[in-house]
Amino acid sequence: MPALLTLCTILVPWLGAVAIWMLGDKRQKTVGPVAVTFSVLAALAALCLYPFATAGVVVSIPMGDAFGSLSFRPDGLAALLTVIATVIGSLAVIFSLDYMKGEHQLPRYYSFILLFIGAMAGLVLSSSLLYLFFFWEITALSSYALISFNNDDPKAVRGGIKALIMTQVGGAGLLAGALALFSATGSFEIDQVLANPVAIPAGLLAFAAFGFLVAAAAKSAQFPFQTWLPDAMEAPTPISALIHAATMVNAGVYLLARFYPAFAEVPGWKTAVIAVGVITAFSAALMAIVAGDIKRVLAYSTVSQLGYMVYAIGLGAVEAAQFHLLSHAIFKALLFLSAGAVIHSVGTRDIFRMGGLGKRMPFTRLAFVIGSLALAGIPVLNGFWSKELILEAGMETGPAWGYILMLAGAGLTALYTLRVTWLVFYGKPREDLHVHPAGKAMKTALLPLVIGSIFSWLLVAFVTRVSANTMPYHHMEAMDITTLVQEVIMNPGTLIALAVILAGAGTWLVSQRVRFFEKSLGWAVHSIQASFGMESINDAITRLAGFAGEKLRITQTGLISWNLLYVVIALILACIYLAVGA
Amino acid sequence: MIIEPRLVITMAVICLVGIGIYGLLITRNLIKVIVALQILVKGAILALVLAAELQGQIQLGQSMALTLIVADTIVAVVGLALGLQVRRRVGSLDLRDLSKLKG
Repeated sequence: MPALLTLCTILVPWLGAVAIWMLGDKRQKTVGPVAVTFSVLAALAALCLYPFATAGVVVSIPMGDAFGSLSFRPDGLAALLTVIATVIGSLAVIFSLDYMKGEHQLPRYYSFILLFIGAMAGLVLSSSLLYLFFFWEITALSSYALISFNNDDPKAVRGGIKALIMTQVGGAGLLAGALALFSATGSFEIDQVLANPVAIPAGLLAFAAFGFLVAAAAKSAQFPFQTWLPDAMEAPTPISALIHAATMVNAGVYLLARFYPAFAEVPGWKTAVIAVGVITAFSAALMAIVAGDIKRVLAYSTVSQLGYMVYAIGLGAVEAAQFHLLSHAIFKALLFLSAGAVIHSVGTRDIFRMGGLGKRMPFTRLAFVIGSLALAGIPVLNGFWSKELILEAGMETGPAWGYILMLAGAGLTALYTLRVTWLVFYGKPREDLHVHPAGKAMKTALLPLVIGSIFSWLLVAFVTRVSANTMPYHHMEAMDITTLVQEVIMNPGTLIALAVILAGAGTWLVSQRVRFFEKSLGWAVHSIQASFGMESINDAITRLAGFAGEKLRITQTGLISWNLLYVVIALILACIYLAVGA
Repeated sequence: MIIEPRLVITMAVICLVGIGIYGLLITRNLIKVIVALQILVKGAILALVLAAELQGQIQLGQSMALTLIVADTIVAVVGLALGLQVRRRVGSLDLRDLSKLKG
């Protein structure tokens, strides 16, 4: 049974992708419902799979000696991420019915979403590093194709290519790390590494650990690769909600969480992970404060929240990271989808042109406000519990500078969420925009997420128990609701954090002028808006590559005589080598 | 002094391959390039026969040489036909003028 369900979560979306591709451009009307059918079926399969989560491999397909077998292992972490990918995937597809109505080339859109959902399930379920890498690259490909979906728009194409190139750096790190582990253990099986990391030579293990850190940073848009995610916001909004908030960007966090037991003892690795998380979480929160595009604010906040998860893994609080990943996937998908409803309605993403939309879009306002409160960490929504757990872990075990910056980051989070909510939904309308309320399909997709944002933390007992039972190497502890509530409420850290969060929110209330931060922070704003100079480093690298290409062009004469000369020289060198070597 | 047949063939191989490569390096005329290529390949075929003889498998070498001669003829025919088309379309057989695909 688990074997069948595991295969279903991957193959059903892929079959759907093929089916939609076969339907083609001529039947534009039918592709939406077909996509919904396949994605909902995959979500049901994943939900049924979750109770069957097990530590063992359930499906194993032999692929020849060199590659090991294509095997899947639905343990607690993998099954949870599969559920997130397929359920939020199906909600995004349902949302797209309204959002993408009347667009051209819809089959391309839906088939790439379904390809992505299947690949994401495969990525987390795969028990072999090699196939994990393959699925990892398929998700990167579909992310690129969907960011650039509006291929008439040069910004969308640029954003897509940027995301593709920067995540490829991560792919290279993953491949290098995987090959290092393969050279030590002779197999790509992940469990073999986790079971006995001591058997691997320390140098190779450290190489793999830092390779995987690069991979995770690039995929999850962590420092210094954080710049691709805001530019990926040119994608249609359901794509941003699904790929760039709820699922694909979690792949990096997943990789770190999965390999934590093996890498925890590598000297310097935990500190490096903590540093990456802290720097990202804090700087991205600053960038979110001055961003003027509703989707970019959300993108920076995604980067920042992913930083919290990476930080938690660096502290060893894998269950807190996993819990925050679940909460974040739900409330950030909710925020993105309700932002999508707003954008679809008013036709702009500039928050300075919006304002006072709440009265005319009451349901969207309700959804967005609940999502914002969860993101800000206001009790008793799901974001509150998971963020408190991370901050407590930081207070107890982490370095003080990390904890203080993360605490400040939590305050900044409250500040920018309140700012964006206020600018969009409250106050007086700043411009006369044509507004219409969200459609039926949009509301259908938003409602489960609203409920999830309020109640998903009640699942903590179930989720941690499944993880504790099925992940033998992570030594997780099952945590029931009463323990969670006691631990959070009794902890002095909660009060401190709440005070900081309220202070952050209060800052906005005191100074609620539209462009307050842009004016009062002055010169600092420019450097923050330029991602603290990371953008210019990227530009310098691209320019260097272009320059080198221009210079190397002279070696390509296109004349057969010259090319033959190189061949002859190589032949002579080979002969000399053979003569000397023999 | 008895001239060893193998030595003669070795010298012939070196000469043919050398002439072929030299021709390819210096000529800019497409027809001459094809001629030089033919000479080069003939040297290679001779080398194949020689190698087979040294290994004591002369039948294998001869049958492969025959196959190569057939294949090589096709190369020459197609090459000359392409040369003719190039002459008609570009108006010259100079290799330096054939740079349309250069990036």
